[in-house]
Amino acid sequence: MSDVRQQGIEIVLQACERPPSTPEPVVGAPAVVVARDLTRRYGTGDAAVDALGGVSIDLARGRFTAIMGPSGSGKSTLMHVLAGLDNPTSGAVWIDGVEITALKERQLTQLRRDKVGFIFQTFNLLPMLTAKENLVLPLTIAGTKLDEAWLATLVDAVALGDRLGHRPSELSGGQQQRVAIARALVSRPVVIFADEPTGNLDSKTGDEVLGLLRRSAGEFGQTIVMVTHDARAATVADRIVFLQDGRIELDCGRMSRDEIYDTIKSLEATSERGDGGPAR
Amino acid sequence: MIRLSLRDLWGRKLRTALTMLAIVLGVAMIAGTYVITDQIDNGFHNIFEKAAVGTDVNITRKAAFSGSDVFSSGGALPVALLDQVRAVKGVADAAGTVEASGAVVVNGKSVSTGGAPTLVFSTAPPRFSQSTYIAGAAPARDGTVAINAKLATDKHLQVGDTIGLGTEQGQQQVVISGIFDFGNSTSIGGATLVATTVADAQRWYNQEGQYSAISVAAEPGVTPDTLAARLKTALPAYAEVKTSAQSVADNTKAVSDAIGNVLRTILLAFGGVAVIVGAFIIFNAFSITVAQRIREFAMLRSLGATRRQVLASVIGEAGALGLIASLLGIAAGIGIAKGINALFHAVGADIPTSGIALAPRTIVVSLVVGIGVALLAALAPALRATRVPPVAALHEGATLPPSVVSRYSPIIAAVAAVVGGVSLAAGMFVHGTTASRLFEMGLGAVLIFVAVAMVAKHVVRPLASVIGWPAARFAGSSGRLARENATRNPARIAATAAALMIGLAVVVFVAVFAQGFKTSFVSAVDRSVNAAIVVSGQSGGTIPDGALATVRAVPGVEQAAGVYSATTQINGGSTASMTGVDPVTFGPMWRFHWLKGGSDALLGKLTGGAALVEEQFAAKYNLSKGKSFVALGQTGTKQRFTVIGEFRDPTLLTGFTVSQNAFDRLVPSNQRDPFYIIASSSADPAQTEAAVATALKAFPTAKVQTKADYTASLKKQVDQLLTLIYALLAVSVIISVFGIVNTLVLSVYERTREIGMLRAIGTTRRQMRRIVRYESVTTSIIGGILGTVLGVLFAYVVSTRLASQGITFSVPWGQLVVFLIVAGFVGVIAAVLPARRAARVNILDAIHYE
Repeated sequence: MSDVRQQGIEIVLQACERPPSTPEPVVGAPAVVVARDLTRRYGTGDAAVDALGGVSIDLARGRFTAIMGPSGSGKSTLMHVLAGLDNPTSGAVWIDGVEITALKERQLTQLRRDKVGFIFQTFNLLPMLTAKENLVLPLTIAGTKLDEAWLATLVDAVALGDRLGHRPSELSGGQQQRVAIARALVSRPVVIFADEPTGNLDSKTGDEVLGLLRRSAGEFGQTIVMVTHDARAATVADRIVFLQDGRIELDCGRMSRDEIYDTIKSLEATSERGDGGPAR
Repeated sequence: MIRLSLRDLWGRKLRTALTMLAIVLGVAMIAGTYVITDQIDNGFHNIFEKAAVGTDVNITRKAAFSGSDVFSSGGALPVALLDQVRAVKGVADAAGTVEASGAVVVNGKSVSTGGAPTLVFSTAPPRFSQSTYIAGAAPARDGTVAINAKLATDKHLQVGDTIGLGTEQGQQQVVISGIFDFGNSTSIGGATLVATTVADAQRWYNQEGQYSAISVAAEPGVTPDTLAARLKTALPAYAEVKTSAQSVADNTKAVSDAIGNVLRTILLAFGGVAVIVGAFIIFNAFSITVAQRIREFAMLRSLGATRRQVLASVIGEAGALGLIASLLGIAAGIGIAKGINALFHAVGADIPTSGIALAPRTIVVSLVVGIGVALLAALAPALRATRVPPVAALHEGATLPPSVVSRYSPIIAAVAAVVGGVSLAAGMFVHGTTASRLFEMGLGAVLIFVAVAMVAKHVVRPLASVIGWPAARFAGSSGRLARENATRNPARIAATAAALMIGLAVVVFVAVFAQGFKTSFVSAVDRSVNAAIVVSGQSGGTIPDGALATVRAVPGVEQAAGVYSATTQINGGSTASMTGVDPVTFGPMWRFHWLKGGSDALLGKLTGGAALVEEQFAAKYNLSKGKSFVALGQTGTKQRFTVIGEFRDPTLLTGFTVSQNAFDRLVPSNQRDPFYIIASSSADPAQTEAAVATALKAFPTAKVQTKADYTASLKKQVDQLLTLIYALLAVSVIISVFGIVNTLVLSVYERTREIGMLRAIGTTRRQMRRIVRYESVTTSIIGGILGTVLGVLFAYVVSTRLASQGITFSVPWGQLVVFLIVAGFVGVIAAVLPARRAARVNILDAIHYE
């Protein structure tokens, strides 16, 4: 039995790459998000913790990437740095050809507004606005004109029907998260970052939300980066990146749930053998 | 549990500081008021005490009746009385003195005293004298005077210099013989002191053959009490004999009643407004923090804490906050008192004060008010905290159970409104002492404020959408979000706005009322006075009678008449104002509003025992044409007057008006001075005015103005008073600014995650600040609108009540608009700190924040 599994893992792992130790230079940028040599150190001296220990990654347009890894692996930090919410200690990030790590606060805010979408674990809708008002919030903030056709498409996609005039407190968790996804899509950002989007949902509504995300990538060609520790969630991704101790351990294509479980297992085993640093 | 409370206070320093400030300022005003008024009382007591050294018994003329005017005296004593005093066994020495008020002219210019009097008194033998000479000596020859050190220093005067002295007989040129300190002070309350010879004082101030007072020293072995008793039996009944200890006590009380108590009541009222505003802020701060600490309370409950313990923890926190804030308030109050003293000093009114008078009463009242307000305001939120079920510890985003109070809030609001209305009405319409009526009116107003604040949450939404409309329309998303934020928690916004509402309601009330007063009083002068020129005294005082003849003699003056006024006792009961006029000259220059068929012809019959009565006086004593009443004057003379006509004039000629001759019989000669002289001009009024002014140089206290200038100066006086009142009310508005800051800081803290999300999806810091600012302005304008409406309403009610006394209701629209703009600015200022906090929210921390 154990042998069979071991075999399976080997097969799966063949589909994955170990990231090259020296990243290639950026060429032509077919990727919308490019990161090179990202490190992120929290604290100083003895208390210093390296959340990212040199990560390079290219995210191609229209692809749905899941970033996985155990708690403390640095997956959230990576997402925050890629999205311009946090500054790397060293390294650089480009979004749509703009080096965001070189931007000032105000320019960074504008870049987030125009080119980045966010989906949070806790939905984070504004309680005093209706679903529809929440949906168009990024456009309201940017003062951009509403594209009615696009809005209609989105409304159709989130399938809220008659509940668009309701406030978040009158919506279920799944409905709220669907609004949040539409909110991320509404400004047609070049990339959407989703932080554990199913973390607060039961499996059924979680599936609905994942389905919507998958379709967004497929139908609208939306680039999506999703951080999750939920293997089920990662199955909808085109690419799964496994992080461990602040480094990319494996970079895989589509995987089934079992394959993901097995990969996690094998990574844990590697870690237990002691070739990883201290977990954060 | 109390340790927990204190920890909590310390743990939220900014919130604690902001909440405390609300109490500190109010308590500081109260403590400061007590300290300053106690200092004034003590200061005067010290002066009277020093002045009494050497004198054992004081004799003055007994007042024929005691009126509302605490300084009213019964006139003078005959010189012959001094010999009678000296003849009494046990009298070692006695001296008569003359006192009057005058004016000093240096280099042709009248010395401005900033409202303080210029007191003229005759010198007494050294044993009775309170003056310590620092240069020269007391005046020995007629035509010489001694002046107090402050005047000498201020005007660079030296012994041998000549100055002008304003007297009843016109200006006298006098030579300075000496410069003195009074007791140890260079002045009394900024007053100018001039010592003359007895003969000069008698001649110049219409007191020939008279003394104002007689000071008596007892022989060794004779106690003041014994001597006073002997003098009482030996002297005629009109002599008021008092031991000097008694005089000191009476004089101190008189000053205290006239200055200390009045000042105290007024300042305490403003302090009270500040405290009530503070109460709203404390209520709000505790409501919000209790809501934010639901999980903490639930956790405590699940660990076994009883409801009582939770209650004790919140109440304990409020008590500790109240205690610390009260102590700080007392300290600040002492500071305020020092500041006011410095201010008095700066404007030249050295009100005598002594030391830091921190009476136990001051500390007790401050502590009771400060702690009491904190406890009362925190009670409802504390009760709500006890209703948090333990299970709430497990929920994220658990909300407070609705308070017991809120279920009944419409009823409570209705009861408060009704009781408040009744109390207000009782204060206005039911007769009682002034103090109790003021209390009823104040209580009524407070209850109505509470009621409005409780209902206000229902109007927050509509008001916010109206006020927020321009912001939402023109400021885009920030405006819209702010408007939505403002309506999220109407109760919170209502309570925050209520604090500003109260301050502003009082401001608006004062403004509207003052406008009404200004309009009615000024229009009364405009309407009634049919003369080109008005001569008035200094700071509402009288003009020497001699000035009238001088004015009459000026070329270009057609006619001139004096308006004399004195207090009389009517039918042996209450007192009323009596006006004396010369009907022949006065009549043509005054437009009477005759009632019941009266006409100017009545003036011809105004002789002897005839009286014209004002409408209200007639109503009070049930008088009508042909009926009569008895008036007692300070001369001790009683006169029966028969009503010959009735007129309406609730502001100027109140009481009753009689002929000059009748007036003179009832009023002692030294009090027979006109308050106004009005004159008609046969030439250009401006030219005549200049001519009259030149002629009246001999009477430096007389102020000559054209009628237009006079009404303008009246308006200016009201405006000056208003400025002072606004300054006092500014404290309440400042407290409400802290309230808005507090609420916003707490709201920002509560919405940290939302702010993080907004920032993450591209809201700029500037937009974030704007959102907070708009919310703040919306809150403050809601407070402004509610306050304005209430203030106008109160003013309307009170003005209507006082309509019979000539107060009209008149709304100063321009000013109200200014107040609303100020309210808006209050919002902008209050938003500075919270907006910065919102803009500085760390996005990463915020989105992971629970």
